[in-house]
This record gives sequence, C-alpha cells and structure tokens, in this order.
Amino acid sequence: MESLNFVEKKVIRVGAEAVIKEAFWKNHRIIVKHRVPKRYREESIDLRVRKSRTIHEAKMLIHLSENGIPVPLVYFIDPVECVIYMQYIEGLELRNHPGAVERAKRLGNIVGEMHGLDVCHGDLTLANIIADENQGVWVVDFGLSGFNADLEEKAIDVHLLERSAASTFPTQTKKFFENFLKSYSETTGRDAAKEVLEKVKEIRSRGRYVAR
Amino acid sequence: MVTVLGIESTAHTFGVGIVNSQGKILANVMKIYKPSVGGIHPREASQHHAAKAAEAVAEAFQTAGIKPSDIDAVAFSQGPGMGPCLRTGATVARTLSLALRKPLIGVNHGVAHIEIGKLVTNCGDPVVLYVAGGNTMVVALVEKKYRILGETLDIAAGNCLDAFGISAGIGPMPAAEIYAKQGSKIYDIPYRVNGMDVSFSGLLTASEKLLKSGVPLGDVCLSLTETVYSMLTEVTERALAMTAKSSLLLVGGLARSKRLCEMLNTMCVDRGASLHVVPDQYAGDNGAMIAWTGLLMYGCKQFINVDESFVKPRMRVDEVEVCWSP
Ligand SMILES: Nc1ncnc2c1ncn2[C@@H]1O[C@H](COP(=O)(O)OP(=O)(O)O)[C@@H](O)[C@H]1O
Ligand SMILES: [Mg+2]
Repeated sequence: MESLNFVEKKVIRVGAEAVIKEAFWKNHRIIVKHRVPKRYREESIDLRVRKSRTIHEAKMLIHLSENGIPVPLVYFIDPVECVIYMQYIEGLELRNHPGAVERAKRLGNIVGEMHGLDVCHGDLTLANIIADENQGVWVVDFGLSGFNADLEEKAIDVHLLERSAASTFPTQTKKFFENFLKSYSETTGRDAAKEVLEKVKEIRSRGRYVAR
Repeated sequence: MVTVLGIESTAHTFGVGIVNSQGKILANVMKIYKPSVGGIHPREASQHHAAKAAEAVAEAFQTAGIKPSDIDAVAFSQGPGMGPCLRTGATVARTLSLALRKPLIGVNHGVAHIEIGKLVTNCGDPVVLYVAGGNTMVVALVEKKYRILGETLDIAAGNCLDAFGISAGIGPMPAAEIYAKQGSKIYDIPYRVNGMDVSFSGLLTASEKLLKSGVPLGDVCLSLTETVYSMLTEVTERALAMTAKSSLLLVGGLARSKRLCEMLNTMCVDRGASLHVVPDQYAGDNGAMIAWTGLLMYGCKQFINVDESFVKPRMRVDEVEVCWSP
C-alpha cells in the first residue's frame, strides 16, 4: 500500500470503531477508514472482529455500488491492517443536517431498494447517513450489514433508524418517520412494508424477562 | 424533610428501603429468594415475598429508627418484572398506603437502578449501561426521558451467563466468571452486535455446544464472558461516541463483575471518559432505589390512585417522564 503513494492528511472523524482520515491519491481526495485495535478486547477477539468487519464491509459496498445504491466506491482494501480506502462523500451527517426531515423521503427509497436486494445495514443511525448538496442521500458504515437479510433484520434497521431519530430530535421524529415510511413502502410495495412494520412492533415489545 | 418508603419486588429480591430528601438511605432491607434447583420460578418467588413482607417492612422501620406514620409516601416497583412478584409488592404497598393514608407512587424498576447510581456516584449526566439478570440496555437522558440507545434483542446478558452456569452445573453468576480464570484458550463464538443492540442467545447455544463437545469448562467460561463483556463494552462506546457524553454510569447486578468493570474502564480511559460504578450493595435489586426514585417523583407529585395501580410487567424506561431532571 505504501508504494501506491498516498498523501495522508488529517483525521476527520474518530468514530466508535474506526478512525476516518482524509487522504489524497494523485490529487484525488479519498477517505481512509481504519478499524483501530481496541485495548479493552482480548487480542484474538479484537482481531477477528476488526478483520471480518473490514472484509465484509468492502464486499458489501462493492455489491451495493454495482446495484446502484448510493454508497462510497471502494478503491483499495488492506485486510491486514483493517483499512478501506474509499470515495469521499461531500456532505453533512443527517443528524446535523437542518433538512433531515425532508431528506427522509429519499432515504426511504434507498433503504427500500436495499431491503429489496435482501441487504440489511445493521447500524442504520443518522450518523451513518450523509446528505449532499444536491438533494442526494448516501449511506456509509456497512461493517454490521448482512446479505440474505430476513424480515427480522430489515425490521431492526427500521427500528434503529426511528430510535436514532427519536434520540437526536425527539420533536421531529414523527414527521421524519412518516416521510421515511411513505417512500419506503412505495419502493418495497405496501404489503412488504406492512410486514416489516408489524415486526418492528414486536421487536419493541421484546427484550426483557424473556424466559429461555 | 420528606421521607419515602420503597418496595422492590420484580424478581428474586423482596426489598424495603427508606430514604429521605437529603439523599440519606435510612434502611435497605433485602430478602432474597433462592430457587432449590434451576432458575427462578415466578410463583414460588412471589410466595417467598409474601411470606417475608411483614418482617421486612418492620425491620426497615426499626433500622431507620422511625415510626410508620413518619413517612410521607409509599413507592413500589410497578415494572418491568415478573407478574406474580410485582403483584405481591404492589399489594403490600397498597395496604401500607391505605393504612397510613399516604400517597402511592409507581416506580419504574430500570429508572430506579439508574437514579440510585446517580445518587451514590455523583456522575453528572452520563450514558448509562444497565445490565442485570433481566435487563440489558444503554440509555441516556434526552429531553426528560431515558431514551434507549441500545438494548438486547433477545435475552439479557445476566440471563445468558446465569443460564449457561445453571446448565453447566456450576450455578448462576458469578460462577462463570470465577471458572473463566481457569481458562486459557478463547474459542470463536457468535459476536452479535447490531448498531447499539446486542443479542446473546446464539452465543449461549454455541457455548453449551462447545462444552458438550469436550472443551474444558474454564475455556468455555472464558470465551463466553470475554465475548459478552466485549460486546457490552463496544455498544457502550458507540453510545458515548453518538451522544458525545464523557461520563459512563454502570448499574444493575452485573456491575459487580470485576472483568466487565475493567474492560469498561480501559475503554473509558482510551476515550477520555470517566467511569462510575454503582457500589455492590446498590447494584442488585433493592428497596432503597425504589424509595429514592419515589422521592424524586414525590417532588413533582407523580402519584397514582390505589384503584389504578396495576403492575406493568413489560414497562419500558422510556415511558417515564423524568420530571425531576433539571
Ligand atoms: N466515504 C465517506 N465520505 C465522507 N464521510 C465519511 C465517509 N465514510 C465515513 N465518513 C464519516 O465518518 C464517520 C464515521 O465513519 P463510519 O464508517 O460510520 O465509522 P464508525 O464505524 O466508526 O462509525 C461517518 O459518520 C461519516 O461522518
Ligand atoms: Mg458510523
């Protein structure tokens, strides 16, 4: 990788599991996502988790790009250091975007299409959605995503998104979610959307004193 | 000065606490049901609680050195929890409330775990990791409610570790953590994190399979506890990153786990956050936490009528209006 001559620049975000840097390759601005070791985790668990998520995320990004879903293009992968080099998306995270409620419409289409491919995101929060300057919406951070997603996993995406909105801007959650659901069900079809929503309700009522 | 008596009765513990508005815990009596075999039987537990109730209440007044008529309100854990256990506690609370002519307060058990932690650790406005036998969640106070940022999608962390210990014949926690000290090899078992949610049932099944296939008990316990605690620490770190808070509060029965505290502490040191752990005597279910939360609710007159004081076995922490928050 060193021979490819990257000019690493500044750290732009320290996420929960990765350090995100901006870098240049032949004057082209790119994102470098490095899953850094976590000292709290025992070494073998740590390496297994980081490596599998890096490889998996790259595979998923490529798959989604090929299917026309707006995600960053993958340029290079370094599975030893757990690094992905990818397209830089210009924009603001949806949680910081003043027009989040409006963009929920576009987001509903994108998540609907993704679920149509039986892909679930696995961490669908407002920090992992980027709104650009041209009314576009992009999705990032696919380390926890899944191929062959079942109904439950799709419902978890919708559940996570709503909860993320509720904890970010409680007063606008309702409108945000209405906008999202309208275009989501337009994309997936009414029946499929209804099934997912039923499952979301079930998930919400679960989670405590579940006897084994 | 306001003084509140609180009754805890959601699962294995029948607790009676008395707390005053200076935050002083005057009494914290606990009667703990221990099943003769296997896990907890709700009906047996509730019978235990009913049998011990009068004695526990009398003991609490005696320890506190006050008369029943000195209290200003009666609080009880309204949910979540096991129906039969909750109903026993509620019945005792209603009886006291009517006999003493003091208002009745229905307290959310999860909120109570959080509030007692805040009272005794002085942690400011934290992200809270609440892990116990029946509950696993990461919450933070946003606009007067404890919002659930992450939770278990199936069984609780404590339930997972207890269930494994019981099926392996070593009993509930802390057995799995003690046996883990004899282990040296870590096996790959499902590490399932979804955003800030976790799921433990796959990991429990995998651990039981490992043991059956002849892997030494110590190694299975080590693999299981290391994986469970790593998952919990990871989602907690995500919550700290998302909320940009710099204080973490650990509450619930699993706060007694040394290894979990150690991992959380390493994570906090690396992020520049501070870790606050509820002390052992307030980690498990107890009456003092119900009394203290009842006292906070007393301040904004969140009373309920006796004839509307139904228990709520599936009550959620985000149902509660945290009227006492600044
Ligand atoms: N390709 C990208 N273009 C622009 N910004 C990005 C890109 N990838 C990530 N980011 C930014 O970095 C943040 C963290 O990256 P993410 O992949 O979500 O890692 P983490 O797993 O640590 O959350 C994102 O929330 C986003 O703001
Ligand atoms: Mg992210």
